[in-house]
Formats: sequence, C-alpha cells, structure tokens
Amino acid sequence: MIGLCLSDPHPDRAGDGSPIRTLSAARFYGRYRLVDFMLSNMVNSSIYTIGMILNSHYQSLIEHIGMGKEWDLARKSGGVTFFPPYYADERQSVNSELDGPLQRAAEFLTDRKDEYIVLADSSIVYNMNYRQAFEAHKKNNADVTAIYTKKTITSGERENTAVFTVSEEGRVTGIGQAPLNIETINVSLGAYIMHKRTFIQLTAGERNCGMQRFSRILLADALDRLKVMAYEFKGYTAHICSVETFFHYNQDVLDMDKRNSLFDFEGRQIFTNLRDSLPAKYGKQADIKNSVVADGCRIDGTVINSIICRNVKIAPGAVVRNCVLQDDTVVENNASLDCIITDRSVKISENRKMMGYRTYPVYIERGRVI
Amino acid sequence: MVNKHKECIAMLLAGGRGSRLKALTELVAKPAVTFGGKYRIIDFPLTNCVRSGIDTVGVMTQYQPLRLHDYIGKGQHWDLDRLYGGVSSLPPHSKPGSTAWYSGTANAVYQNQDFIENYAPEYVLVLAGDHVYKMDYSTMLDYHKKVNAACTIAVIEVPMKDASRFGILNTAEDDRVVEFEEKPKNPKNNLASMGIYIFSWHILRDYLNKDEEDENSNHDFGGDILPAMLKDGQRLFAYRFDGYWKDVGTEESLWQANMDLLDDLHLGFEDWHILSKSAGRPPHYIAPTGSIKNTLITEGCEIYGSVENSILSTGVIVEEGAVVKDAVIMENTRIGKGASVNYCILDEDTVVPDDAIVGASKESGGSLEIYSRDTVFEIDELKRRRAT
Repeated sequence: MIGLCLSDPHPDRAGDGSPIRTLSAARFYGRYRLVDFMLSNMVNSSIYTIGMILNSHYQSLIEHIGMGKEWDLARKSGGVTFFPPYYADERQSVNSELDGPLQRAAEFLTDRKDEYIVLADSSIVYNMNYRQAFEAHKKNNADVTAIYTKKTITSGERENTAVFTVSEEGRVTGIGQAPLNIETINVSLGAYIMHKRTFIQLTAGERNCGMQRFSRILLADALDRLKVMAYEFKGYTAHICSVETFFHYNQDVLDMDKRNSLFDFEGRQIFTNLRDSLPAKYGKQADIKNSVVADGCRIDGTVINSIICRNVKIAPGAVVRNCVLQDDTVVENNASLDCIITDRSVKISENRKMMGYRTYPVYIERGRVI
Repeated sequence: MVNKHKECIAMLLAGGRGSRLKALTELVAKPAVTFGGKYRIIDFPLTNCVRSGIDTVGVMTQYQPLRLHDYIGKGQHWDLDRLYGGVSSLPPHSKPGSTAWYSGTANAVYQNQDFIENYAPEYVLVLAGDHVYKMDYSTMLDYHKKVNAACTIAVIEVPMKDASRFGILNTAEDDRVVEFEEKPKNPKNNLASMGIYIFSWHILRDYLNKDEEDENSNHDFGGDILPAMLKDGQRLFAYRFDGYWKDVGTEESLWQANMDLLDDLHLGFEDWHILSKSAGRPPHYIAPTGSIKNTLITEGCEIYGSVENSILSTGVIVEEGAVVKDAVIMENTRIGKGASVNYCILDEDTVVPDDAIVGASKESGGSLEIYSRDTVFEIDELKRRRAT
C-alpha cells in the first residue's frame, strides 16, 4: 500500500485573528506535531511509501519530516515524497496559476507497483493500524473504505468535519457537514482506502484539493457509482483545525485513558523528530499538578492542568494554569497565565497577568514579548 | 575516489565490565549504563568526538556487547553514520594465526591496527568509555602538535589528599611528563591522568608491536606503554583540563555524577548538547496527587507519588503514595503504591511492589545501595495491613 496525505489549506488566521502555522506542523501533547500521528500510523501499518500533497506554509513541515529518519522512512525505495505546488513554466509570472501537485501525485502512484492507497488527513490525531481496515476493504469488495468514528464534536470542528450517513449494511449513503445540534454523529477521519485507479479517477481535473473537498464534493458525488463502505474506528480521535480545537484537544489528553489510547497503544509508538533535550528539571519550589511536561524544561513555579512543550522555562513564583506553552516559551518571576496558548519563543515578563477562558483561549503569536 | 585519509581518529575502550557497578553491568557493558535520565555513558565520549570534528571512532567492545552494539547502531544518533569513517564496533575477532580476547587496553588497540591503518591517520585519540565530561579534543590535538609530543595525556587537578587514588603525572615546568606513578602512596603532584591520550600514530604503532612481544607486559596504556615511552625519552606532555570530569566506574561516583546534574544540568557547557539515542516516548505526566522537588524527570514517566532529589529515567512510573528520595531510577522501573525508596540506584525494568521499603534514608545514615531487577524487596507489613 501507498500512503497519501491530503490536508486542508489552513486558514492563515484562526479564532481571534491570531496567525497560526500550518496546523499539521502544530504541537500536540508537548512534543509531537499533528503530522506525526499520520506518519506513524502509516509506518505502524507497514506502509513505507508516502506521498504528501502540500499546499501552503509547508516550510516547517518539510523541515520537521526531513528525510523521514525518525519514522524509519529514510529508505532507498519508498520513503516520503513531497508534492508542493510549483510553476509549471518558468516564464510564467508570479500571478499565474500554480501547477497542481495532484497530477504529479497521480504519476507517482501510477509508477509504483502497489495497487492500493490509504488517503489520510494529517490534522486528525489517532493511533490506528490501517491493515485491519484494508482487510475489511477486501472482504467487502468495496471501491472505497471510509474510516469514521462515532463521537460528539466541538462547535469549532463543525465546519471542517465531514459526516457520513451509514446504511444498515455499512454502506456510506451520504456525506455532508455536521448538523448544528451537537450529538453523537459518524465523523469522517479523513482516511480512505481505495485502489489507486479510483483515486486518480476521482481527482481527475483537480489541481490541488483539500480533504474537505475530496470528501464532501468529489467522493459525495460518486456515492451512486462507487461502493463506499464505512469502517468504524473505536479509539480516541482529535481533530485540530482552529485555535479552540487546538486548546480543547491538548487539554483533553490530560486524561490518562485518552493518552493511553493515543500513545504506545497495542505497541504502536508515535514517532517524532528527536532533539535530545536534557530531561526536565524541577526546582525546589516547583509545584506541579495534572500536567504534561516535555524534556528540556526548567520548572521552578506552579503549573496546573497544562501542557508544557520542549525547553520551556517557568520561573519561581510564576503560576501557569490551563495553558498550552509551546517550545522555548519563557515565563518570568511572578507572572500569571490562565487559558493561554503561546506559540514558540514567547516571553512573558515579570509580574504580567494574562487570562483567557476555556471557551476563548488567548493565543500569543511566535516570538512576542509580553 | 573518496579521500580515505583522516588526520585523527578515536579508539574508544568499551570492553570492560565495570564490575564495581555490580548488578548494573550484569547484562550490559559499563559504557551502555544509563546516565542522567536519558543518556548512556558512551554518549559523552561520542558527542565529544563529533563536537571536536572527529568523525571516525572505533569502539572496542568485549564484555556483554549485544546491547552496546545495538545502542551504537550505525552511529546515526551522533551523526556518525558517515559514508567513510563514522562509528565502528570492534569486538575481538580471529585472524590467520591468532584468536585472542583483548588482554589489555593497549592490546585492544594493537589488535585493531588494520582498522586504524585504513584511515592512515597521523594521530590516534584513545578514550575510555566510562567518563562523564565535555571536552573539545581538537584543542588538545592543537596542543599535541604545538609541543611536538609523542603522546599527550589529558590531566585534571585533584585535591592533594585524593591524589593517591589516581594515576599521577609528575611534570616539569613546561608540563612535560617526567614521571608517571599509578596510585602513589606519597604523591608528589596533583595532576591526575583522565585516561585520555593522543598519540602520534607512527610512534604508538612501534610501541604496541614491541609491547606485544614482551611476555611480562600487561598490555596496558597506563602500566606499560607510557612507562616504556618515558624510559626511551619520548616527548610526553600533560594537557590540563579544568572542566567537569567524573569517572563513573563505581556506584558512589555514578550516583554522585547523576546528582551533580541537579546542581548544574549542563555540567558547565550550555551549548554542547549531548547526543543520544532517544526512546521517543511521550512527555511525562504529573498527576494531581504527584509532587516533585529538585528532580530530573525524563520523557515517558508518570508520577502519581512524590519525588525529591532524584533522577528518573525514561518511562519510570511512581504510583500513588510512593515516596522517592535521593534515588537514581533507571528506565521503565515501576514503583508500587505506598513504596518508599531511599538513597539508591534502581536498575532498569525493576518492579518495586506496593508498600516495599527500598534503601535507608541518607539522613538516618543509610548507605548507598544498588538494586537489580531480581531483588526481592522487603514489604512494610504494617502499612499493608493498614491499607487493607
């Protein structure tokens, strides 16, 4: 099988207007990036040839993945291939249209011996072995197997979530947007198994398409002619598509049952790139409760219900509650934070007090000094 | 055609058992023992090599090499997976006319002359695999060249009262070595050898060959090669090092070096960044019942109890009500509910049962203990009865 990653063009600005980096390169659970889960699921399903369709702001994503060494994807045959948009003709002006990565992905798929592909969305986090779904795909003699989970979604996910109507025989009969009333629904994981020919036919004429367009338009239009079967995934899932969902799901995994169904579940490790930071160091005055802390941190203050990413420093007297502090954030003496998300390299100076609310976390952009 | 010449290559002595570390080295060689939560001792010399621009390292292994070889791998964790050079594991091997174990430190290098000659180096750096320190060997090499030495020995000043525990170099004013005394009763100097040598290879090669023919030799660098070179009037120089350096070959020094990280996490070298094979586990979790003071905690840990003045390696679980103090805990060890762990080193994969009493507190005069995974721990029956 070949893995193909299709993500949505992310809004440059989300929530309160704060800029947010390509989400698949955003932090999750202290040290991971969203894309790590998709890549690890592929590798844990013995899929070692992966194509990544890129659309915008992909620099940090490419830097993160590199040769794919940490995912065991640095190989002579297989590995990760990127499909960024580019100018088809050098003489074209900057304003002319970009060549579609999808055509090149189609060539890439055609050239490979493998018949089947797993299409996956890098902004949805879960730990799954796709091989079981592939077995079901063959058994059902399906054209497409659509992986979904039954859950209640947050209002922030609604717009970016495809929902399936599933018949008694397990066939997908409708694909649409989530309804307004919040109840348990069949939520697409943006993961589909199909023959590569089916994918090429479905996306014919498309230059580039996000997962939402693929699900809700291209696949939805083909439900009559293709046998699209549903496959239920029962583990934990998190769909991160905005500041609110980023905050919600980072906090959500403080629950150990949820954590355990994401990490090392059934022996499947989630891989990420490694920086060999020192272990986290706690000072004599440190006070920490119900929090996740990554390596390289130095904690001398109080930390409650928070996710602390790599190399964060929290000084004595500082109080951090319900926060997600990303890499290299510094919180100085007696500063106080509640419901705050910091991007990388943010500095909160002495005695500053900042507060958001659980339903309205405040996002501080990269490199800001408060 | 690749240029196969390397000016200086490193030969790392990693074959010893380190029997003074008792249970910790039953399954692994000393250089593969965990240090500082997420490192192995061998990460220190390997990182030093890479940071000093030495990209060819031969690691001479002998005792329990399986996990050490596995750990070293292709050298990818230290950027030592090079097209030419990189890290090579060198266990003893048979060749036409001989089949022999490494009989001493010098003999180990002697037996790997072919490996060294591959790179036709001018200089060979000989390193020990059981020291924790950060050192730029390139400045030592510059010194070696400047003084036109046959051998340069890195030395560190030790307190005069401790000098009789070390190999001591007596030097002239220009730091030229005039005498070498192994653990002298009445030391005349306080410059201790750190077991780090740079040799001019063509000179060392002659001495290794001569030494091999000497039936009375123990084939040891400190005991045989250096004295022979001194006797012949070769230029031996001391190279003074004043950073952090610790031989972690004993249980006390291993425990102390771990604890030193609590005072200075970087061991005085902020930008050195020790490279390692990371387990890649999720960040650690501290539960609402957890409490942590003055401690290092590594990825993958889950803390439900309280921990003070300790070093917790990757994947350690401290259950609710457990109290850990002054302890170094190796990977994936689980400390059961209500257990009390004091002043000790706990081996990896150890399971400490609920309400166990492990070690005696440092304040009450307890002595440092090392516990292996096979230990049958004492249980606090009173506590257990109260709990049920």
